[in-house]
Amino acid sequence: MSEARARPLSNAGAAPLEASLEALLSQVALGNRAAFETLYRETSSRLFGICLRVLPQRAEAEEVLQEVFTSVWRNASQFQPTRAAAMSWLGIMARNKAIDRLRTLPPDTRRTALEFAAELEDQSASPSQQAEALTDRERLEHCLEQLEPRRRSLIRQAFFAGLTYDELAVRLDAPLGSVKSWIRRGLLQLRACLEP
Amino acid sequence: MSSNLPPDDRDPGPGEPPGTDDLLAAELVLGVLSAEARRTAQARTAADSPFATQVSEWERRLVPWLSDVEGVAVPAHVWQQIKRQLGWQPEPAALRLWHSVGLWRAATGLASLAAVAIWVTRVTAPAPPPPVAAVQPPRAELAARPVTTLAHDDGTPGWLASVDTTRGTVLMVPVPGAPDAQGRVPELWIIPAGKPPRSLGLVSVDKAHTVTVPPDSRAALVPGSVLAISLEPPGGAPHGAPTGPIIAKGALNT
Repeated sequence: MSEARARPLSNAGAAPLEASLEALLSQVALGNRAAFETLYRETSSRLFGICLRVLPQRAEAEEVLQEVFTSVWRNASQFQPTRAAAMSWLGIMARNKAIDRLRTLPPDTRRTALEFAAELEDQSASPSQQAEALTDRERLEHCLEQLEPRRRSLIRQAFFAGLTYDELAVRLDAPLGSVKSWIRRGLLQLRACLEP
Repeated sequence: MSSNLPPDDRDPGPGEPPGTDDLLAAELVLGVLSAEARRTAQARTAADSPFATQVSEWERRLVPWLSDVEGVAVPAHVWQQIKRQLGWQPEPAALRLWHSVGLWRAATGLASLAAVAIWVTRVTAPAPPPPVAAVQPPRAELAARPVTTLAHDDGTPGWLASVDTTRGTVLMVPVPGAPDAQGRVPELWIIPAGKPPRSLGLVSVDKAHTVTVPPDSRAALVPGSVLAISLEPPGGAPHGAPTGPIIAKGALNT
């Protein structure tokens, strides 16, 4: 049994996958258990990866993944294909629930390391590594590159670690006002670049 | 570490940009709000439609990041727990409509592999945990791919296999049968002509799923190679070679 393979949420070959995920979700909304099980098989490893990014403790991440899927079963009818792709909807739900869970944990059980350094840049695939990636991914990367490097790194880390402003300020040993200012300016810059 | 900060960030200067609704939506999506601020903002999305739209706009902007996250194999007990939480009872015994090769040939003609998977799994029960082997998404289109029957010794079909050489995957569709009385599990092997078997991982006895062939075994996906199923201890053959009886096999006819 090999590890589930990483797969982009969106890539050039994703149209059939998205189409079938949408079909599965619409079946799930009708109460089709088999469709739900297929959906689980197709998406659980990616959603688990998303939960683990925010909640490094596996037990917590597993519980959140369970929550995600019970919620999908009950709320699949809320999925609107016109607003988001199926995998995006699922991924956002997993991330939101993981952050909700993170907020309920006492601070001392949370991860302590926050690398505030450029090496984080290495974790993001360069455009050439993601030749198959869709425009959305490339545009986000392009716009991030317009930001001052450390600002970019902080926004990306905030996204993946799900840390609050307060926690970021403590970890960075920086004034809260600076961290807020920094992230907000970065977000505004990002929005301006993504939607000029 | 504050020395790492660029000057303009050590000194906020005119101060942080004022918090607008749109920034609040961005902060909610980015995940930087405290527990209380987050709850308040989430409550707003339920009641305030323009704000909810701003939130989904930010989700759309940032969601490509999630494609950086690698999938991680999920332990089997998670699925069992989900079924318990949903209060699902074991379904009635599987309908045994399936011991007809003709029916299976008809099934493979369906336009969508996903539809096949749904169809198969709907009538089979009770469900063991889904296989945790790497599972590839079903392709919406079904190119005319030949089907290999993995037959038992008595000639009855045990599994149907459809090989996608482009993607290096094998769709495995089991003909549902009784699980092994000794608790052994089926493991799929590819046996290139004149060479030892190579494991392609465990397969399900009652669920259709796709097996990803390791890159170094993909060259074996050619006519003349044999796909075989052996019964192995839970977790699979320990040393990479079959230890149990071969219960079904079939030669690739691509």
